[in-house]
Amino acid sequence: MLILKYLFYIFVFPGFLFCFFAGLILAGIDRKIVARMQKRIGPPILQPFYDFFKLMGKETIIPNSAAKRTFIAAPVAGLISLVTISLFIPIFKFSAFNAVADVIVIIYLLTIPAVSLIIGGSSSGSPYAGVGISREMVSIVSYELPLIIALLAVGKKAGMAVNDGMVTFSLSKIVEYQSLKGPMLFHWSMIPAFLAMLFVIPCEVGSLPFDIAEAEVEICEGPLVEYSGFPLGIYKLNYALKIFIFSSLFVTLFLSGNGTGIILFDAAIQYVLCIIVVILSVSLIRAVTARLRVEQMLKFYWTYPTALSILSLILVWLGL
Amino acid sequence: MFKKIIEKSFEKSPWLFHINAGSCNACDIEFVATLTPRYDAERFGFKLTGTPRHADIIVVSGPVTEQSKDRVIRTIAQVPNPKVIVALGSCPASGNIFAGSYSVLHTLDYYVPVDVYVPGCSPKPEAIIDGLYKAVEILKNKRRDNK
Amino acid sequence: MNFPFVKEAVNSLFKKPSTERYPFVKKEAPLGYRGRILFKSDKCIGCGMCIRVCAPGAITKSTKKTDDGEEITMNFFMGRCTFCQMCADFCPRGAIELTNEFSMITEDKSNLNVSGTFIKKLPPKQQAGSQTISKQV
Repeated sequence: MLILKYLFYIFVFPGFLFCFFAGLILAGIDRKIVARMQKRIGPPILQPFYDFFKLMGKETIIPNSAAKRTFIAAPVAGLISLVTISLFIPIFKFSAFNAVADVIVIIYLLTIPAVSLIIGGSSSGSPYAGVGISREMVSIVSYELPLIIALLAVGKKAGMAVNDGMVTFSLSKIVEYQSLKGPMLFHWSMIPAFLAMLFVIPCEVGSLPFDIAEAEVEICEGPLVEYSGFPLGIYKLNYALKIFIFSSLFVTLFLSGNGTGIILFDAAIQYVLCIIVVILSVSLIRAVTARLRVEQMLKFYWTYPTALSILSLILVWLGL
Repeated sequence: MFKKIIEKSFEKSPWLFHINAGSCNACDIEFVATLTPRYDAERFGFKLTGTPRHADIIVVSGPVTEQSKDRVIRTIAQVPNPKVIVALGSCPASGNIFAGSYSVLHTLDYYVPVDVYVPGCSPKPEAIIDGLYKAVEILKNKRRDNK
Repeated sequence: MNFPFVKEAVNSLFKKPSTERYPFVKKEAPLGYRGRILFKSDKCIGCGMCIRVCAPGAITKSTKKTDDGEEITMNFFMGRCTFCQMCADFCPRGAIELTNEFSMITEDKSNLNVSGTFIKKLPPKQQAGSQTISKQV
């Protein structure tokens, strides 16, 4: 019975199927909103589904210079790690696997999709992929610093009340704190960290001003240059899942709370909040900006978002 | 059921790849204009990709010169099946005013099979949208015939 | 770091999109648009002026002897045309017209030919009377 329950968790509700639909619809909403912001009609909301299923039906070409097994396995590894994260993120008070994972594990698992992109790109043996890989590495380095400092601030804030003043990395403790004292966002010392995290999302998912790794006009989509058919479809799915999971993590960290107690409603509220976060942080920025250069991105992330999250950390440490 | 979904998806999500085989840039500008807010080809799912591996529809503009001939053939060979080739403008169809030049020996259909011709010098964006629409139909039929 | 156009983006989110729904709403080409050639073979005299002025060489003329006279076929290949309207401008009889039909999508190149055939009557047998008139002119 327990095994059946866990299988249900893994494959259906917070796991694969839920993520599949939620992520692809979220990506579709993002594309539609960007189109409307640019005064276009835009693709239908189900467009990412069409893209995914079309790529499933295309021929898969594996170049001669590629390492065959790594080439196919890399996107699947990324997908598995993303599905794993979805099991650990609590939806208000409900979480599938509660005690085993905290924020640190999620941070590691969130790096794996980017690492899978790097491995896949390097196994394809194309010089364009090489350039893309180096850019992807820079982007990981640049967003990781403000992200971790912001998470430290959140952990400290929650730990002050729930964990005897120690920093806590347990997501369930953070949710517990928010159900006691209201969402993190309403504590004014957390607002700089909130803003920093909003800026981290577009880089994490690789959307427009920070999609230097997959610049389609400069370096032919970077690490994805040799991919076609099934593995490319998995990468596109990974992109959609990354948007959903990161915005979901964001909602859990900053906008969570008591919830209604019914899982279905909680999931719906979480999803609506995810959509709002994505529109604010991904769509709006994507609609009005052009692509940055590598060093501009590094400079941006190591100044403004890092400064904001450090400010938040200091305020929390002072007990404000 | 999956077969049906995939067939419908082919109709809804054709990705484009644009090859400039020595064009004068007029067709290229008109082609990019179809993706601008006014004509917005993205509402049919068209998307400009950066690499031939992702593409379904290859749009070739310009006369195929001796210099670009090898590149055009190799780029089109890298596109996974099923694929559709669209000749944009009068140049790939015949050479237009460049015909008879020392560097333009043959038309595009001498090298690769061309599925759709969009004549015009340069064609209106509406004509290009019509041509891409036709290309999508051919893409769907090719998918159905293969499987 | 500043983000211009944020206001514009948010405003246009709630406005009607400026996209033309082209294939569903038909559109006329603007006035004076140079589209597919319309050849009126009954007006043509086969002088070949259009062939001389055509830069890409899209116009071909083929003649065939018949009993009535010469059967002349003018062929305009749209796949090679630059749509410059020079042929129509130089035609002494106004037999060529560039219509506003812009969409000439085809799968087969031979569909792009616009041709017209007419029979050019041989000049009548010369008589004594007419020769004198021509001398006076």
